[in-house]
Amino acid sequence: MISAIAFYLFALMTVFAAIMVITAKNPVHSVLFLILAFFNAAGLFVLLGAEFVAMILVIVYVGAVAVLFLFVVMMLDISFSELRQGALQYVPIGLVVGGILLAELIFIFVGWHIAPSAMDNRITPMDQTVQNTEALGRVLYTDYIFAFQVSGLILLVAMIGAIVLTHRRRPGVRRQKIADQNARRPQDVLDIQKVTPGKGI
Amino acid sequence: MELLAVFPPLLAFLLAFLLGRRLGDRFAQIVTCTGVVVAALASCALFIHVVFGNDMQGDPRTIVLMHWMTSGDFKVDWALKIDQLTVVMMCVVNIVSACVHIYSVGYMSHDESKERFMSYLSLFTFAMLMLVTSDNLVQLFFGWEGVGVASYLLIGFWNQKNSANSAAIKAFLVNRVGDFGLALGIFATFAVFGTVHMDTIFAMAPEKAALTYHFLGMDIHALTLICVLLFIGAMGKSAQLGLHTWLPDAMEGPTPVSALIHAATMVTAGVFLVARMSPVFEYAPTALMLVTLVGATTAFVAATIGMTQFDIKRVIAYSTMSQLGYMFFALGVSAYGAAIFHLMTHAFFKALLFLGAGSVIHALHHEQDMRNMGGVWKKIPATYVLMWIGSLALAGMPFFAGFYSKDIILESAFADHTWFGNYAFWMGIAAALMTAFYSARLLFMTFHGKPRMDHHTYDHAHESPPSMLSPLMILAVGALFAGFFGYESFVGSGAGASSHATQVVATENVVIEHDVEAPVVEESTHGHEWNRHAFWQDSLFVLPENDTLEGAHHVPLWVKLLPIIIGALGLLLGAVFYGWKTGLPQKVVSAFNPIHTLFYNKWFFDEAYHAAFVTNALRLGRAFWQGDKNIVDGLGPDGVANTSQRVAGVLSRFQSGYVFQYALIMILGLIALVTWMFFKMVTGQA
Amino acid sequence: MSDFSLSSLMPLAPELFLAVAGMVLLVVGAFMGNRSLRLISWASVVCYGIAAVMVVSGDGGRAETLGGMFVMDGYAELIKIFILVGLAVSAILSIQYLYQEQILKFEYPILILFSGIGMMLMVSAHDLLSLYVALELQSLSLYVLAAIRRTHLRSAESGMKYFILGAISSGVLLFGISLIYGYTGTTNFALIGQALGAEISLGALIGMVFILAGLAFKVSAVPFHMWTPDVYEGAPTSVTAFFALVPKLAALGLIARLVFEPFYPLQDDWVQIIWILSAASMLVGAFAGLRQENIKRLLAYSSIGNMGYALMGIAAGTTAGLSGLIFYMAVYMIMTAGTFAVILSMRRQDVNLEKISDLAGLSHHMPKLAYILAILMFSMSGIPPLAGFFGKFVIFQSAMESHLYVLAVIGVLTSVVSAYYYLRVIKVMFFDTPAEPYDGHISWGRWIVLAGSVGFILLFIISPSSLLDICRTAAVYLIPSSLS
Repeated sequence: MISAIAFYLFALMTVFAAIMVITAKNPVHSVLFLILAFFNAAGLFVLLGAEFVAMILVIVYVGAVAVLFLFVVMMLDISFSELRQGALQYVPIGLVVGGILLAELIFIFVGWHIAPSAMDNRITPMDQTVQNTEALGRVLYTDYIFAFQVSGLILLVAMIGAIVLTHRRRPGVRRQKIADQNARRPQDVLDIQKVTPGKGI
Repeated sequence: MELLAVFPPLLAFLLAFLLGRRLGDRFAQIVTCTGVVVAALASCALFIHVVFGNDMQGDPRTIVLMHWMTSGDFKVDWALKIDQLTVVMMCVVNIVSACVHIYSVGYMSHDESKERFMSYLSLFTFAMLMLVTSDNLVQLFFGWEGVGVASYLLIGFWNQKNSANSAAIKAFLVNRVGDFGLALGIFATFAVFGTVHMDTIFAMAPEKAALTYHFLGMDIHALTLICVLLFIGAMGKSAQLGLHTWLPDAMEGPTPVSALIHAATMVTAGVFLVARMSPVFEYAPTALMLVTLVGATTAFVAATIGMTQFDIKRVIAYSTMSQLGYMFFALGVSAYGAAIFHLMTHAFFKALLFLGAGSVIHALHHEQDMRNMGGVWKKIPATYVLMWIGSLALAGMPFFAGFYSKDIILESAFADHTWFGNYAFWMGIAAALMTAFYSARLLFMTFHGKPRMDHHTYDHAHESPPSMLSPLMILAVGALFAGFFGYESFVGSGAGASSHATQVVATENVVIEHDVEAPVVEESTHGHEWNRHAFWQDSLFVLPENDTLEGAHHVPLWVKLLPIIIGALGLLLGAVFYGWKTGLPQKVVSAFNPIHTLFYNKWFFDEAYHAAFVTNALRLGRAFWQGDKNIVDGLGPDGVANTSQRVAGVLSRFQSGYVFQYALIMILGLIALVTWMFFKMVTGQA
Repeated sequence: MSDFSLSSLMPLAPELFLAVAGMVLLVVGAFMGNRSLRLISWASVVCYGIAAVMVVSGDGGRAETLGGMFVMDGYAELIKIFILVGLAVSAILSIQYLYQEQILKFEYPILILFSGIGMMLMVSAHDLLSLYVALELQSLSLYVLAAIRRTHLRSAESGMKYFILGAISSGVLLFGISLIYGYTGTTNFALIGQALGAEISLGALIGMVFILAGLAFKVSAVPFHMWTPDVYEGAPTSVTAFFALVPKLAALGLIARLVFEPFYPLQDDWVQIIWILSAASMLVGAFAGLRQENIKRLLAYSSIGNMGYALMGIAAGTTAGLSGLIFYMAVYMIMTAGTFAVILSMRRQDVNLEKISDLAGLSHHMPKLAYILAILMFSMSGIPPLAGFFGKFVIFQSAMESHLYVLAVIGVLTSVVSAYYYLRVIKVMFFDTPAEPYDGHISWGRWIVLAGSVGFILLFIISPSSLLDICRTAAVYLIPSSLS
């Protein structure tokens, strides 16, 4: 009972927050609503017994991604209302399209059943004594090593991409070159001259 | 060995064509000449293997190189079918080609794009080899088109000359008519036999002999239809009357090209085709009759034109056409061996004549008109002697190559004992007279009499370099001895009656009935006598009742003697007209003015075609164009084009560049698909 | 927990090798800087060669590994070979262009390499999860490549558009995957096939539609094609060449595996989806191309139309259709490689030309190039003795055999319409008044590509069945001939 109430609470809050993200006038508010949506989604995960994923969601998305968004939004002075000006005329058609898709999905949901073999096909850590995190750890590097490693490659590409697209080498920037500094010898840079009094150099 | 006889020219072509410009003319010349000479040597060795191998029984073989294509029942391989017929053709092609290659090094020495020329020659040689070695009709067609393309490229080689370009186009277009016939013939063959593989076709030919197609209320004999269509293809390539107009114009190409393509090899492809398909033609007597008639008429008409022309190359070109006519009526009376025999000897002496003419032209700074020649025999004695050899061979003087082959053809025609055989015989005799006449005319106008060119040219006339003369020598040897040594093999009597070729002239024989009746295939197996059956084995097929070659050895003496007498007479007349009483030709011309006009204007073929086809086609085209523009275009192409443009306009309006529009269209598309699935599911379940 | 041994990685060896090679090259590049671009490019080409040898030297049999996530069979082998060839050609074509346009980023060949790994994994995916990660690995590299000339507005914009629309399509794909997983309880292809074979529900059907829609974006099938013209035009030309050459082959390979393995029980349904996508692509590709003035946009529409033809091979649903598809894509790849090699060589006063009208006078200034492009265009429009004709012929034939008459008729008609714009290129080259001469230099790598492409197109007629037989053998791995 309590879990049901909690579920609907979290679910409704998630949907509400998601709507607010795209309707809020102030971009900072949007990001804050996004954080709210993430929190509620984390709540849903906890209800499912997936506390690890819930915590990761909070740490990564709320703690890092959303805050990064917040910084970007605050630092770049973008007028979102201007950007959104043209989009308003697409609301009716968007509503119609979304409505149809929604109706169809509801239709599917109503008539939903699972395949006879579906229950046998499930791969779940049935061992209840094991903790969530440990269970994930057990399969992540064994059964799912392939997906895991390819994900790693994706992240590598993402990193390369980010560097390629943003890194700029500006001329005229003075950098510290430690090797050069260490290699400096007095005789290269110093010139000892005898100064005759009264004459100057 | 087989590959060595076929592929070096291809390799040489690729090397010379791709790298020729970079590595220089010398490289291209060396590589192409080497390629063809290697091929020539290999094909000679192959000749010995195939003909004399297997204890003199002959050793034909088919080598499947690789699988080509399959589409349903239609299955084709790349293969080399090498039997006695093929190997003869290969020798002719490769030897003549080698001579021409070497000759070209000298002849084209002043040309700018030597490497292009040499590579085209090699390409042609390869295509021709593909043609003769194919074991199926599709590969043959490939080679057929290949030589057509190479011929087009070479005729138009001097593409800065307008006349060369239009001659090339004309050759291409006229050949297209013939090729269309050939293609239809191949389709018909596939429709009737269900295969294009030659050996299978030959094996099935007897059982299809009675097959007829009911078409437009007529019963059409299937094999006759096939053979006539194939013959139309052969007519185009071999310049038979009707489709011959391209050949004289093709003389716009460089002279070595004329020698190789338009005298020795490509134009004989039609002869080869008919000989190759002899097992089918034998069951289509109507088609054979057509072949005889066309061939005989061509031989006659071309000879009449040849007598009146003044361009030295055109004279030889018409002579070629006339000789091809001989070959065809030999085919028509089932004397396939004789046709191929003449093909071979002709290749030698005609290539010799052409190259000799080239040598003359070269010496006289590209002067081709015989009216501007004369008296140069002292200046270019070697060429002079060689031209005499070629001309005597052409005129069929005894012991020259042409004598043996032309005589056996005429005897075969006589021995056919049908009305068209007789027609061919008399036409051939008439043509032989004229052949000898124009040969003499050519020699006397070119080499004797007073020099008619300007002094400068005369003084600078010079003998050709050895690189040009040496191939001529080789060809001259062929023109001298090919007939003598080939006689027994190609056309020798199956009865074993005559042993030595020269005796045939002297000995009188009577027709021995039972020999004619005897089945040919049986004869080839018994005994080890060396005659045409032992030579050809199964590569040519003659029905026993059509075996005119056997009959040819038993014709009355006057038939055997007549060509010689006629030939001598022709030579004599020519000598009198153009060497002794030089005023006489003018009188004769004015006396027979209408006939001369007819001959001189080539029987008005070009004019008739122009009036009948070109003009009318233009008029028709214009009429169609008017109607087309207003009615058909309005509704059809233009209408469609306009609508297409409008559709394109609408479509490009969607391409606005806005991401959210793109996304919207994607989602709409998705929803359309999903809705379609729903619709189907709901209606399907209901 | 499955028994893990080194031998279970053997089927994965080419991809592993490429991944390691990519990282090594990355380190090399990081140390040597952008001057190592040429070195890294050629090194990557060598790596593709080695990987191709590794692919060929596999035992050829079917091998599933890594818990059924990865499968290697004759089908994947052939497509991987084509992919590797395409990657190598793209890398070779790029080098000169990158130097000319001063896009000196050593990451460029490395990104191509990583996207190549993604494509190879896509073809071998045997699980919805591996499908998705492979797809993302490939796509992410492509997004970055499209925007790699970030100082040019159009390049950056096209990368952005591609990324956003790609993200939407990924979302659609994931939603479909979740529906399929929800119904069958598994992501493994074989198990999905069993579950769907037993019983079909509407939910699973819609899931399949979503998945196909998500993948249709990758092959730029109409109506998911909108990104193609903009990205083709905006991206640097060498990147466009890469886009046109390889990714679609991989995506089609993936779609084919998907519909013939897990979704085979739903054949009646996906045939209709593919039918619609195919017909729409052919029509839009043919008609929208008519008005294009930019040759890169033209090729974008050409590629959309060609995807329509290729999808027709899948719609046929037979071995003949699938082998036709593989064959068609191979021929298309070769023709496109040649075409882009020509386009990349069209420079005037150090500026790359993109307008079709700029081709005027090509026959005058660079006759060799003009003749090559003419042959390519003839082949593209399907003129008989050339390879392009056989590609279309095989596809149409398979469609007719499967009684898809309407689709085949649309195909023939649209190929007539599209012939117009291919032939227009020839007309402009040979008959329009020549403009100024071009900058002549063409690197030897580009010449090799040109010669290979044209040589293949011209000489294909000598032995058509050799390549067709290879494609047929590969197709049988997916559709045992007993099924079709």
